[in-house]
Amino acid sequence: MSEDPQDKKQPPAAFSPEDMARRNRRSVALALVLGGLVLFFFIVTLAKTGPAILNRPL
Amino acid sequence: MSAAFDQITQADDSAALSSTGEARDFFALLKPRVMFLVIVTALGGMVAAPGSVNPVIGLAALLAISVGAGASGCLNMWWDADIDAVMARTAGRPIPAGRILPSEALAFGLTLSIGSVLVLGLVANLLSAAMLAFTIFFYAVVYSMWLKRATPQNIVIGGAAGAFPPMIGEAVVTGDFGMTSIVLFAIIFLWTPPHFWALALVKSADYARAGIPMLPNVAGPAATRRQIVAYTLVLAPVAVLPALMGFGGLIYLVVSVVTGLAMIGLSLRVLKVTEGEAANKAAYALFGFSILYLFLLFAVLLAENGLGLMWALPKVLG
Repeated sequence: MSEDPQDKKQPPAAFSPEDMARRNRRSVALALVLGGLVLFFFIVTLAKTGPAILNRPL
Repeated sequence: MSAAFDQITQADDSAALSSTGEARDFFALLKPRVMFLVIVTALGGMVAAPGSVNPVIGLAALLAISVGAGASGCLNMWWDADIDAVMARTAGRPIPAGRILPSEALAFGLTLSIGSVLVLGLVANLLSAAMLAFTIFFYAVVYSMWLKRATPQNIVIGGAAGAFPPMIGEAVVTGDFGMTSIVLFAIIFLWTPPHFWALALVKSADYARAGIPMLPNVAGPAATRRQIVAYTLVLAPVAVLPALMGFGGLIYLVVSVVTGLAMIGLSLRVLKVTEGEAANKAAYALFGFSILYLFLLFAVLLAENGLGLMWALPKVLG
C-alpha cells in the first residue's frame, strides 16, 4: 500500500489556549448559523406551501 | 496572476490548514457596509416593482441576495489580498492581516455564492437566481480579476455589478424586469464613478503603490475632476426619473432634486478646489455625501412604496 504524501508533512503546530478559545467561538457561531438555516428553511417551506403541509396523515 | 494563488499554495504546503479567525473576521469578508447598501437597493427594486410578493418569501429572497453580494465581496478580498496588503485603507482586512487564510476565504466565498443562488432559485424564481449568479460572476471575475488591474474604466464597467440588485429585486416580485428597475440600475451605475473617483483622488498614492490603474493615476486629477462633474450632471436628472415615471412620489421628487443639486454643487467644488488639504476635503465631502445621496433616494422609495407614504404625482414618462 503506497504511503500518502500528506503523511510526510509536519504535524500541525499546537494551538495556544487563546487560539483554541477563538476556534471554539467560531464553532459556536457556525452552529448558530446552521441552526438558523434549519429555521429559515422551515419558515420558507411553510410560506411557500402553506400551513396545510402540517395537516397530513402520517 | 494574483498572489492569492501563491498564498494558497504556501498555505497548503505548510502545516496550517485552518486559521484562528473568528466569526467577525468571516463576517468582515462579506463587506457588511456594501451588503447594507445592496439590501436597501434590492428592497427598493422589490417595493417599486409593479406587483407584490409574500413578505416571508420577499425577506428570504432579500437575505439570499445580500449573502450573494457578500460572497462576491469575499471572493474579491480573496483575489485582491496582495494589493489589499500594500494599501493603507485595506491592509487591516482579514486576509492581509493574517487572521483568515486565503484558502478559507475562497471556500467561504464559493460556498456562500452557490448557496445563495440555490436558495434564491428555490424561494423566488430562476430568473432572479440567474441574475444573482451573473452579478457574483461579474463582480468577482469580470471586475476583480480582469477590469480592476487592467483599465481606468474599471469602476465604470464594474459598477454594473453594484447596480444589479434592484433588477434582481424586481425579478423576485414579478419574475421579470422592466423600466422601473432599469431606471434604478441606471441611477446606481451613474452614481458609481463620481463616488469612487472622489475617493481615488484622495487615495491616488495608495492605488499607485498597489499598481491599480485608477483614473487619477492614469488620466490625471484634472481629467478625473471633469469626469466626476460630467457623470454627476447626468446622474442628478436620471435620479429624478422615478418621480416622473410614477413609482416615486412628491417626497421623492423633492429629495431627489435637492440632493441632486447638492451632488452637483459638491462635484463643482471638487473641480474648482484642486490644491492642498482643501482639495482632499472637497473630494471627501463628495465621497461621503454620495453614500448618503444613494441611501436617501432608495430609503424614500422604500417609505413611499413600502410604507404607504406616497403622495402620487401625475405620470409624465413611461
